[in-house]
Amino acid sequence: MNLRANHTTTYLYSDSVSVCHTEVHLTPRSARNQHLVEHELSIIPAPGQTFPRKDYFGNNVTFFSIHEPHRSLTITASSLVEIEATLPLEPSLTPAWEQARGEIWRDMEPHAMEEYQFVFESPRIPVRPQFAAYASVSFTPERPLLEAAMDLCHRVFEDFQYDTRATTVSTPVEQVFQSRRGVCQDFAHFTIACLRSLGLAARYVSGYLRSRSLIGGEASHAWVSVFCPGFGWLDFDPTNDVLVNGNHVTLSWGRDYADVPPVQGIALGGGEHVINVSVNVKPA
Amino acid sequence: MQDYEMMKDRPGVLPPEDRLKRLELYRPAPDFYDEMLAPEGTVRPHWKALIDSFEEMGEADWARRWQEGRRIIHENGITYNVYSDPRNAERPWPLDPLPLVMDSSEWAAIEQAISQRARLLNAILADLYGSQKLLDDRFLPPELVFPNPAFLRACCGFPVPGNIYLHIYAADLARSPDGHWWVIADRTQAPSGAGYALENRLVSGRVLRDVFRGVGIERVASFFQTYRETLRALAPGHKENPRIVVLTPGPYNETYFEHAFLARYLGYSLVEGADLAVRENRVFLRTLGGLLPVDLILRRQDDTYCDPLELRGDSVLGVPGLVQAVRSGGVAVANALGSGLVESAAPSGFLPALCRHMLHEDLKMPAVATWWCGQKAALSWVEDHLDSLVIKPAFPARGVEPVFAGRLSRAEKTALITRLRAAPGAYVAQEQVALSTAPVLEDNALRPRHVVLRVYAVAAGDSYAVMPGGLTRTTSSLGDLVASMQSGGGSKDTWVVATKPSPDLTLLRPPAGPLDISRATFDLPSRVADNLFWLGRYVERVEPIVRVVRAMLPRLVQDANLTTQAAVETGLRILAGQGYVRSDIPIGSAPFNGLEREVLALVYGGQTGNNLTASIRSVRRVGRLLRDRISSDAWRVLNQLHEQLSAPLPPEPIRVSSAQALLDQVISTISAFSGLVMESMTRGDGWRFLDIGRRLERALQMTGIIRYGLGFDCEADSGQLELLLEAGDSSITYRSRYLTSMQADLVLDLLLLDEANPRSVAYQLARLREHVDRLPASQSRFRRPAEGRLVLSLLTAVQLSEARDFLCTGGAHRTQLETLLQRLSKELWSLSEELTREYFSQAVPSRQFLLAESRL
Repeated sequence: MNLRANHTTTYLYSDSVSVCHTEVHLTPRSARNQHLVEHELSIIPAPGQTFPRKDYFGNNVTFFSIHEPHRSLTITASSLVEIEATLPLEPSLTPAWEQARGEIWRDMEPHAMEEYQFVFESPRIPVRPQFAAYASVSFTPERPLLEAAMDLCHRVFEDFQYDTRATTVSTPVEQVFQSRRGVCQDFAHFTIACLRSLGLAARYVSGYLRSRSLIGGEASHAWVSVFCPGFGWLDFDPTNDVLVNGNHVTLSWGRDYADVPPVQGIALGGGEHVINVSVNVKPA
Repeated sequence: MQDYEMMKDRPGVLPPEDRLKRLELYRPAPDFYDEMLAPEGTVRPHWKALIDSFEEMGEADWARRWQEGRRIIHENGITYNVYSDPRNAERPWPLDPLPLVMDSSEWAAIEQAISQRARLLNAILADLYGSQKLLDDRFLPPELVFPNPAFLRACCGFPVPGNIYLHIYAADLARSPDGHWWVIADRTQAPSGAGYALENRLVSGRVLRDVFRGVGIERVASFFQTYRETLRALAPGHKENPRIVVLTPGPYNETYFEHAFLARYLGYSLVEGADLAVRENRVFLRTLGGLLPVDLILRRQDDTYCDPLELRGDSVLGVPGLVQAVRSGGVAVANALGSGLVESAAPSGFLPALCRHMLHEDLKMPAVATWWCGQKAALSWVEDHLDSLVIKPAFPARGVEPVFAGRLSRAEKTALITRLRAAPGAYVAQEQVALSTAPVLEDNALRPRHVVLRVYAVAAGDSYAVMPGGLTRTTSSLGDLVASMQSGGGSKDTWVVATKPSPDLTLLRPPAGPLDISRATFDLPSRVADNLFWLGRYVERVEPIVRVVRAMLPRLVQDANLTTQAAVETGLRILAGQGYVRSDIPIGSAPFNGLEREVLALVYGGQTGNNLTASIRSVRRVGRLLRDRISSDAWRVLNQLHEQLSAPLPPEPIRVSSAQALLDQVISTISAFSGLVMESMTRGDGWRFLDIGRRLERALQMTGIIRYGLGFDCEADSGQLELLLEAGDSSITYRSRYLTSMQADLVLDLLLLDEANPRSVAYQLARLREHVDRLPASQSRFRRPAEGRLVLSLLTAVQLSEARDFLCTGGAHRTQLETLLQRLSKELWSLSEELTREYFSQAVPSRQFLLAESRL
């Protein structure tokens, strides 16, 4: 199935911004079930040049600077992706979660580092005994990995309240755990913290969601991916308590939000600013 | 001490009682290796020449020399900053008079080992920021790389010039009781101390010049020449004369003195993040003349603070877009961004195997035994041998001190083990080295103190050149095993005995090829222009107040008469008008006891707020920001000024006369500074802004002196006019013209309108006009800029005034004078603001903010 995603971010400034340097993760990467057909990035005011490259994790990044004074900045990414829905994986067929811990497989194959790097703490996601304790209710001995992960996903969905006002972009995971409130980024961070605290490799996926009936359809979205030896990366969405299959467009992945913010920049001047974001995903 | 006994009988040697007796009393502690004395108490051969010279020197000579050394340190303002003491952060550099002497063959081994280690660490960095084969092949545990905050993913996957990550590398070495040297720490981020090592050499080379020559010591200048040559060769664009800047976090950094010193010594501009801008993947220096391209940044700032966009320091410090500029090859950074990754003890245990694998050589100098707790076997060994170990974080962490486990209580040890088990990969344990000792002069006696030797290597072609010498640091007491400037240790020069005479060498001439003669002066960073402007203003702000106080003092102790009374009142009004004293001080009559106290408090105010010392502190603060821009003579003069005005209050009977003598000295010092500015500074934009600051402030001050000292009433006593002339340093001119007749209009003509008097307002305006017309904005625009129009209109107004306009006709008020003075003080301030807007505003760090994304 083909999906078209239009993502517009607008910054409005009260005073003129003289210079801004910006980096965007707005071009969908290629992934196992995803193929990028068409992509266009438009920026107003137009920068002299844009510099696309791959980042450390293989994501598509574009860097640009604007050197003329401006009062607003509009970045529009329009992408057409082909997504292949696959037969749902039978959770009970995945190996016992203990076998999926990084220390078990890190020395078995020479190029395991690609996956193994996601076992560790990262700037936004600490590894803590209390996270392991929360996760252990789902990760009972010998339970198949995907089954345990789906149970964890369900519990986060039930235990945590979706609340756009409770947190900001930089709220620490510990606080999310305490207040049990937040948005998709917080739920993804917390779930990853649980998985890594058990010694599993887990990464943060940034992207879009197709359905309007689910949460996260009108802005950029985020979910979780866990590594399962023999099966590869398995994506699930704790904000909506679903396995990722056909409705999610992957933009990029990294250790946590800080590796892959859709838009980040440094602007000089500008006074106060407001941000408007709109995301629209439709079958094409 | 057999050697000593033998020498006593040598002819020409001073009689024993005059010789340095300290050596005989030096008793090294038995459990440590002593650098100077062999176990049987004889002086080691490579120390003999030095010790001989010292013994011949005699007590008095020794004392005189060392006093000279301290004077050089003091006057050159060699300092380091202590973080924990924000009030009085700057400490004079502690240098011990006795150098550490190194034997040449022993040094050759150290040299090879350090050069090898630098090559190895550089190769490891190149791998980890490139293909990461070392991880795939399990030569290094990924646990040491992936969770390490010093591993900068943004810096992976692009080449750096010459494949050099470590342009400069430093290692801390310690000698164990068996005489072997060990590496105890690696410095790869932005190694500090090479500049201090050089300063130590400059000081000890001066006070021990004859000894130095006699012994034959390796010189260190060639090391810096190699450093400069390497940076030149690695700057992108392969220019003959690339623009290289030293990036400093600023004057509050621990080693700011060194940043400024190295920038001056190497001939580079010292810049802060806000001085640099990125445009189209190139880095530029913001200067008065516009943006100038920068080819290489020698950074003395941790890499995570270098680019708030991609390296995500917690602050907005740094240069946004720098990583992208480096990535696209527009600029190089030395050491390369990300080089802090190998500044850790954790990989030590893996280095011998890595050295064989990567360099096909055996590791020449081992690191002190190190266990990375991330390995299970290591952790249990560490737990069993805790008492003999130092526990350190595996990854660089700000403010985390090493833990000497042997000193902990039982409960603390249990807590430590719990912490180790919770996150074993985050810790390393190191064997404690019983550091060797060397003699240090303390309380007039030689005492053994532990030493740690920091040695330096710079990239030179495909290898590394090691500085023949280094920074020796000493502990503050015997048994203390941490040598740190922060915790009160000292330093020594390091002498490597030369095998052959080395040529005299300084960096006065650049090494490669002839340079084009350059007279361009527009490369002044706007921030520096701003600081020079304010230096000029602050210095001129001090002078008239000193002159007023100096004029008042003798009158306070004279017999009172009307003239004296009027003069004292005038001085007081000027001081009160500028806010130096309260305006409600009762004047009373002679002997002005209360007043004397108030006025003396200005001069000997110590730490109190409203006094000359406060103004002087501003002078010194701005002077410090300009360490790399003003000559060492000028810096010394500013230091002197600060010192003179920090004197303690002298005892009662001589207070006033001492104060006067002191103020005479202060006036001489300020004149010396003005003289240096006029005679020694190149007439570039830097000088221009300094002089603009001086002229502008002098005009403002003179306006204030007339306004508060004379006032606008028609009455003017001759005592009042005399004090005005003294405050304005114009008494002699006046007397030579008008002899003793005191008339207000004549005084006003001299102080306000006379363009020939270098103290008059008119003179300052005329100079300001010349300066402003030569500034970049006046040169490049068709229309005269705002600051140019302001100066021109003020100058014209003053030129069109005549002294007789100020005579009182009819009314009892000098209306025209009042109008003119009000206009002057208002518009001189506007001029200052216009200059700030035109030239300095881009130096003020604009508000930077993070653009993020709202999320659902």
